[in-house]
Amino acid sequence: MSRDAIVARNLTYRYGSLVAVDHITFSVAEGEIFGFLGPNGAGKSTTVNMLTGQLKPKSGHALLLGLDAVRNTKEVQGKIGVCFEESNLYEQMSAVENLQLFARLFGVRSFNPYPLLRRVSLAGREKDRVETYSKGMKQRLMVARALVNRPKILFLDEPTAGLDPTSAKSIRNLILTVRQQGTTVLLTTHDMMEADELSDRVAFIDHGKIVALDTPHNLKQQYGKRALRVEVSNQTGGLENREVALDTADTPNAIHELFSKEDVVTVHSEEATLGDIFINLTGRGLLAPNTIRRKHAKRRPGR
Amino acid sequence: MSVRIVTALVAKDLSLFFRNKFFGLITGLGIVAYIVIYFVMPSSVNETLQIGLYAEVVPPAFEQVSEEGIVFETFESEDALIEAVTEGQYASGVALPPDILDLLASGEKPQISIYSAADTPEEVTDAVEVIIRELAYLQAGQPLAVDISVEVLGPDMLGQQIPIRDRMRPLLAVFLVMFEMIGLASLITDEVQQGTGRALLVTPMTVKDLFAAKGLLGVSLAFVQAALFMAVVGGMSSQPLIILTALLLGAVLVTGFAFLIASLSRDMMSALGWGMVILIIFIIPAFGILFPGTVSTWTKIIPSYYLADTVHQASAFGAGWGDVSLNLFILVGFDVAVIWAGIIALGRRFR
Repeated sequence: MSRDAIVARNLTYRYGSLVAVDHITFSVAEGEIFGFLGPNGAGKSTTVNMLTGQLKPKSGHALLLGLDAVRNTKEVQGKIGVCFEESNLYEQMSAVENLQLFARLFGVRSFNPYPLLRRVSLAGREKDRVETYSKGMKQRLMVARALVNRPKILFLDEPTAGLDPTSAKSIRNLILTVRQQGTTVLLTTHDMMEADELSDRVAFIDHGKIVALDTPHNLKQQYGKRALRVEVSNQTGGLENREVALDTADTPNAIHELFSKEDVVTVHSEEATLGDIFINLTGRGLLAPNTIRRKHAKRRPGR
Repeated sequence: MSVRIVTALVAKDLSLFFRNKFFGLITGLGIVAYIVIYFVMPSSVNETLQIGLYAEVVPPAFEQVSEEGIVFETFESEDALIEAVTEGQYASGVALPPDILDLLASGEKPQISIYSAADTPEEVTDAVEVIIRELAYLQAGQPLAVDISVEVLGPDMLGQQIPIRDRMRPLLAVFLVMFEMIGLASLITDEVQQGTGRALLVTPMTVKDLFAAKGLLGVSLAFVQAALFMAVVGGMSSQPLIILTALLLGAVLVTGFAFLIASLSRDMMSALGWGMVILIIFIIPAFGILFPGTVSTWTKIIPSYYLADTVHQASAFGAGWGDVSLNLFILVGFDVAVIWAGIIALGRRFR
């Protein structure tokens, strides 16, 4: 059995009287992709900041690779990679120079940036200044920068936010490749499809507390409706929806009756999305306005 | 602190500094411009002779004098006259006895005192003496013997008058050092604004490494430029070690102020704004050297006074360690205080 790469025990952080993270406890196994989901201000970033040594918890402990994130901050930071949501690259330097700088800071010997840049599809633009890159290219370079030291744990904050489908797909593939190589990934995202596609397990965080934590499949099983949604053609040629509950004694009869009496066009299983489950659990959506980072949300109203 | 990390950061900052068109241009052209300014300034002295005068009764001849280049300014007391000459407001001052008219009329020898500033040339003092004798002759209508005593106020630097371009050296050196303060502050502000500082802090780099790198860059840029300028304009022909020490301490001072400015600024424009305010204040003492008598002793509360004065004393008069030790000591004090305050203030933005 693999050991835990990340262990958070009763992690708590307050901004004045506001409790941003409230006694959070969870663990992430080595090689796991762990989705951390919640609306702005729910406490995701604060939790990640505590795990990565950027914030000191007010109480509780964070252990990464068996090391205390507060007492061994620099040792921990030497073994992790962090990809921020907002681009924070040196824009007047090239991709190669950006990566070489971080390789030197991490003490990576004989670092060759070119294979890494090829992996993030930046071949041919390696020596151009970053200020000339598109948003997608910058985001890919951010991911590459987080991989410079071959991290054992990779923290990704909204890695595909605002990217075109091709760039987003490219980054998702990279995340899966990195995981195959043994890296643990903690993925913070609003994108429920992305979390569903990539994560082995997800945690929903709201008002600083974890409200659910399990595999996407189990969450869907636990919180989703078990039903069939059937599209039938009516007499005027239009379409109507029928729903058949799956867990009742009358289910076989209901299905038989539907297929014998109606003109069935399509049949779908009624599976809840992670977004539905979050709303079900918290009574609010992932894009709900927040209290902690109101200004931040205003800057990005589309998110 | 890691030498590897600090070296990497300094190399990065140096590269970014010169990729910033504004600061790259200011740094490159600035030093050339200052050297050019220095060499186009007159290398000879052509001063109007302003003479302070204390006399209870001013002889009519003194009032009538209108020779080109001679201006008498009267004072209410001999002490006020001495103070004005000591502060360099006048090259020389003349104190006449209260009964000068009676003495001249009776043919007796009046006792006249001439006070000279420390750096007043011997020729000027001699000229003032001749003028007094001429005026006494004009007043009495016949050659008269007058007793003239000459007193030099402050350290005697007779015969060491300085051409204006050499007086400009401290001003230009302070300018060069100051511009680097704005450049460094802007670089740090950029690091905070663009979030790159945050990216650096999740690597093995510590805040100490960051400050060491920024400090090293700031001190190096300011010191090298000012030292290069002083060397090119011949400012280090005497007491080069003292001048280099003063410039180094000045570079540390502006680095501390750059930290403070960066802690207050949100972007490059606000860094420029704060920088200009400090720059204007800091060049006042250097103007005092360029135009003696235009600023008063309050400029001693400005830290750059001790840089400008040390550079001036050492390069123009060959002042030794003993002469400038108090200046250097005070400069060290300012350095420690400002660097400490800068690190505390800026550290809050990185933590």
